[in-house]
Amino acid sequence: MNFYELSASQLHKMLTGKKCSAVEIAESVFGRIDAVEDRVGSYLCLTRDNALEAARKVDARIAAGEEIHPLAGIPVAIKDNICTKGVTTTCASRMLHNFVPPYNATVMDKLEAAGILMPGKLNMDEFAMGSSCETSYFHPTRNPHDLERVPGGSSGGSAACVAAGEAVLSLGSDTGGSIRQPSSLCGTIGLKPTYGSVSRYGLVAFASSLDQIGPIGRTVEDVATLYGTICGHDRMDATSARREYPNFAAELTGDVSGMRIGIPKEYYGEGVDGEVKEAIHAALKELEGRGAKLVEVSLPSTDYALSAYYIISSAEASSNLARFDGVKYGYRAENFEGLTDLYEKTRSEGFGDEVKRRIMLGTFVLSSGYYDAYYNKAKLFQKACAAEFARAFEVCDVLATPTSPTVAFKLGENFGDPLKMYAADICTIAVNIAGLPAISIPCGPTGSLPIGLQFIGPKFAEDRLFRASRALEEIRGNLCPVASL
Amino acid sequence: MNIDIKHIAKLSRLRIEEGDMEKFQTEMQNIIQMVENLPDVSDQSLGVDRNNAMELRRDEILPSMRRDEILQNAPKTAAGCVVVPKTVE
Amino acid sequence: MKYETVIGLEVHAELNTKTKIYCGCKNSFGSEVNSNCCPICTGMPGTLPTLNEKVAEYAIRMGYALNCTINNVCKADRKNYFYPDLPKAYQISQFDVPLCEHGYVDAIVDEEGHTKRIGVTRIHIEEDAGKLIHADTFAGSLVDFNRCGVPLIEIVSEPDMRSSAEAKAYLDSIKSILQYLDISDCKMQEGSIRCDVNVSVRPEGQKEFGTRCEMKNVNSFSAVVRAIDYEARRQMEVLEAGGVVRQETRRWDDLEGESYVMRTKEDAQDYRYFPDPDLLTIVIPEEKLEELKASIPELPGAKLLRYMKDYGLPYFDANLLAESVEKAAFFEAAMAAGGCQPKNISNWLLGDVSRILNEKNLSLADTSLTPEKLCAMVTLIEKATISNTAGKTVLEEIIFSDKTADDVVREKGLAQISDASALEGIVAQVIEANPKVVADYKGGKTNALGFLVGQCMKLSKGQGNPAILRELLAKALG
Repeated sequence: MNFYELSASQLHKMLTGKKCSAVEIAESVFGRIDAVEDRVGSYLCLTRDNALEAARKVDARIAAGEEIHPLAGIPVAIKDNICTKGVTTTCASRMLHNFVPPYNATVMDKLEAAGILMPGKLNMDEFAMGSSCETSYFHPTRNPHDLERVPGGSSGGSAACVAAGEAVLSLGSDTGGSIRQPSSLCGTIGLKPTYGSVSRYGLVAFASSLDQIGPIGRTVEDVATLYGTICGHDRMDATSARREYPNFAAELTGDVSGMRIGIPKEYYGEGVDGEVKEAIHAALKELEGRGAKLVEVSLPSTDYALSAYYIISSAEASSNLARFDGVKYGYRAENFEGLTDLYEKTRSEGFGDEVKRRIMLGTFVLSSGYYDAYYNKAKLFQKACAAEFARAFEVCDVLATPTSPTVAFKLGENFGDPLKMYAADICTIAVNIAGLPAISIPCGPTGSLPIGLQFIGPKFAEDRLFRASRALEEIRGNLCPVASL
Repeated sequence: MNIDIKHIAKLSRLRIEEGDMEKFQTEMQNIIQMVENLPDVSDQSLGVDRNNAMELRRDEILPSMRRDEILQNAPKTAAGCVVVPKTVE
Repeated sequence: MKYETVIGLEVHAELNTKTKIYCGCKNSFGSEVNSNCCPICTGMPGTLPTLNEKVAEYAIRMGYALNCTINNVCKADRKNYFYPDLPKAYQISQFDVPLCEHGYVDAIVDEEGHTKRIGVTRIHIEEDAGKLIHADTFAGSLVDFNRCGVPLIEIVSEPDMRSSAEAKAYLDSIKSILQYLDISDCKMQEGSIRCDVNVSVRPEGQKEFGTRCEMKNVNSFSAVVRAIDYEARRQMEVLEAGGVVRQETRRWDDLEGESYVMRTKEDAQDYRYFPDPDLLTIVIPEEKLEELKASIPELPGAKLLRYMKDYGLPYFDANLLAESVEKAAFFEAAMAAGGCQPKNISNWLLGDVSRILNEKNLSLADTSLTPEKLCAMVTLIEKATISNTAGKTVLEEIIFSDKTADDVVREKGLAQISDASALEGIVAQVIEANPKVVADYKGGKTNALGFLVGQCMKLSKGQGNPAILRELLAKALG
C-alpha cells in the first residue's frame, strides 16, 4: 500500500492513529511525483521544502497531542492561477512567468491554517482559457490514463495530478467547466461550487462573474471536506455570499431514496458520444435502483449558453487582463520605443494566441456600437437561463447530464480550432452562466477511458450533489483508482 | 459582420503580425457568427438588481503593504517608484 | 456679431474619508511615494475591490445638498483605458446609473445677493488614479500609486453658465458646500479639487449650442476663469474668421495662458464601460437615506442670503459668517440671546475675536467666550457704559476666563464717564495746554476738534464719553 493512493480521510485516520506521519505522506507523494511527473507534467513548480516543513509542523502538533484539521498533513496541490505568497503564480503564461505574489489568496490562508502540505503549483491552460491544457506557455499536461490524450482543461494539472497520485487533493478553478471537464477526462471527482460560496480573492480573474475555485479529489468525502474548508463568506470579496454552511463531510450520506433526478434532454443530443450516453444511463439506472426517481425535464436555452458564455467571459477577460502591461509585474518586452510600444510588444509577446483571441473578442463586444447587440443581449440571456434552471428545480432535486460530450481527445486533435475546442464545454457552461453548483463524478465502465457524470443543483445545494455522488460511490466502490503509470 | 481587427487590436494594445491578420480575422468572424445566434429576450430588462446587493466596507484603516513588497515584481523601479517610458515631452 | 458663451463644468473632488474607496489603505496626501499602497490599489492579479460605505454616504450628502434625486440602488462600472497611473487599466466609476442626479445649486453671483440656478446633471463616485512624476534629468517617468483609489466624486453641471464669473460663482458654491459638509479638504494646491471645463459659443439669440471643447488640467478657480475667457475668445475668433469650431479636448497651460489640442473627436477614446463584475449592486437602505438627509445643515449660500435679508448685514459680513460653521452658529446664538445690533456682533466676531483666534491658531470652541458673554459686552458699548476702546480690553479679559464683561469693567474701572460736570475740568485743562490747536479751530480748522477730543480721552484714561467731550469742547470754544 502506498500512502499516495489513499484518500484524505484514510490518511487523516492514520495520522491521528499515529499509523503514519505527515512527513511520510509527503515523501510518498514526492516519490510518486519523481516517478511519473516527467510523463504526466501536472506541475509547473514543486515546493518540496515548504511541504516537508509543513509536514514536520503537523507531526509536531500530533506529537503534542493537539487536535488536527482533517486536511492537516494532506498533500493538496494548487492551480497556478491561485495566488500563493512567496511561490510563483504564473497562470501558465509567459506574461506572469516570474510573478511571485506578496499575498495569499483567501483559500490559501484557509488551507495553510488547516495545515495542508502543498506539493506545488499546477499546470493549466493559459489564464484558464482552454479545455485541454495545451495553451499552457510552459508545457502540456498528459492524461494519466492515456498519455497520448489531453487531461482536459483548463484545470488539467489539477485533475491529472490527483488521477496520477501526485497529490491527494487539488484546487482548480471553473469558469465554464474548467474543474468538471478535466475531472471527467481524468476520472476524478471535481466540484464547481455555487458562485459566491468560495472567495475569489487571490484567484487571478478570467471572468469575474463566472469564476469559482473548487476542489478535485478521488472520493466524495475528500471533495466535501476540501470544499467545506474553503467555502464561507470573505469580506475581501464583495461577491461572496454571507451565509452559514453545514459540515458537508460529517453530514455526508448516500441515501437517494425519493431524490428526484432531472434528465434534461438537451444534454443528450447529437454532439454527445454514444458511449458517454450509455455510461450515464447505466449509472442513473443504478441510482434509480436505490430509490431515486428519474424525471425528464427540458432546458431549451442550453443550446445558446455557449454563445452567452463567450460574450460574457471574453468581455470580462478583456478588462481583467488589461492590467498585464509590463509595468508592475511579470513579463516586459525588451526593446520598445515609448509607452504604447511597451504595451503592445509586452502584451503581444506575453500572451498566447487563445488569450489574444478572447481579449479581442471581449474588446469587440464591449466596443462602442456593439455593446447592446452582444454584451447586453448575453446578460439578458443569462437572466433567462437562470430562471429556466430555477423552474427545472421545481420538479427535481438535481439534474444529471454528461460532463463532457466525449472521452479525452488526443493531444493536438482540437488544438488551433477554437470552435471545435469550445464544443468540449457545451455540457458545463450553462452552470456557470446560472451561477449553480455542479459536480463531475466518474461513471464509465472499468477499462474504458474515464467518463464523467455531472450533477447540477440549485444554488447552495452542494449537499445534494455530494449525496447523489456518494450513492454512486457506494454502489460502485472506489470510483477513482490512481492511474497505473 | 466584418470586424476591424486592426482597430480592435489597437484598443486591446495587441499587435497582430500582418501574416496572422487573416487567421485572426477568420477565427473572430466564426466566433462572432456563432454567438450571433443568441435569441432576443426582449421581455426582460436588466436594470440594477436590488436583490443582489453587496455589503459595504467600514471606513477603517488596514495596514498597507511595505513598499519593497509592492514593488518586488516590477520589471523596473527607481526612487521607490515603478518606471515607465516618459509620458510627457 | 455678438456671441454668448455657454459653460459646463465637471468638478472632481477628493473625499476626506479615512480609507481609500476600494481598499483599507490610508487616504492621505503627501506621504512618501508608494507607502499607502496594497495589492488591491496597485491592481495586482487576483485582488478584489470592496466599496467603502463612507464614500457612498458622503456622495449622497453632497447629492442632498445639491437638491439631487438619490439613486440608492445603483452600480459601479468599469471605464477601460491604458495609462501607467491606472494600474488595473480600468477605473471603477459609475456610468449610466450615478448615485445622484437631477440637482441644482443657486449660486450667488453678486454682492447684492442675486442668485443664478445652475443645474447639476449628476454626481457619481469613482477612484482617483496615481501620480506620474517627471524630471528633466530622468529618461523615464516614475509612477507613485499612493493616490490610486483615493475616493472622488465627480459633479457634472448642466451647460447653464454664461460667463466665467458665473462659473466662478458656481465653483465657489460647490467648494463651500463641500467644506461645510466636511467631506472634502478642497485644497486646490494639493489637487483635491480638479476641474474639466466645457466651453462653447453661439451667436446671441441662437437656440442650438455651438460645438464644445473640453479643457483639462485646469487646477485653480482663477485658472478656470482664465481658461474660459481664453477659450471663448478663441472660438469667437474662429467663427468670426468664418471657420468652424472643432470638437476637441484641449489642455490648459496656465503659465502660458493658452490651451493646446490633446485629442480630436476622431481619436476619442472608446472606454468600453460595463458593470464591474467584482462588485454587486450598491443598495443604501431608506433609513440610511433619511438619516443622511437629516444631517444636511442649512448651507452657506442660503445662510448668507438670510443674514443679508434678516439681519441687514452687508454681503462681506454675511459671507464671512456663513462660510464658517462655528462662527455662523455663534452669531445666531448671539442674535437669539437678543438685545444687540447684528452688525455690532458681526464686527466683533469678524474683527477682534477672529484676530485673537488667528493669532493663537484657535477655534471658538477653545475659548471661554460664549454668545451671551459677547452680547453682554456689546450691550455695554451700545449703552455707552464703556467705550469701544475699553471693549477691546474687556474682550481680552473675558475671552479666556470665566469673568463677565461686568466683572472686568468693575475691576478695571472701565466704565465710561458721561457726567458733564465730571468732565469739564479735563476739557479746561486740554484747552489750556493746546493754545495753537485751539487757535486753529477758531480760525476755521474744524477738524482740530477731533485732536482735542483725543487729548481729553487720553487725560480721562479712556473713560470719558467722547460724544459728551466733543459737546463740551465745542461749547467752551464757542
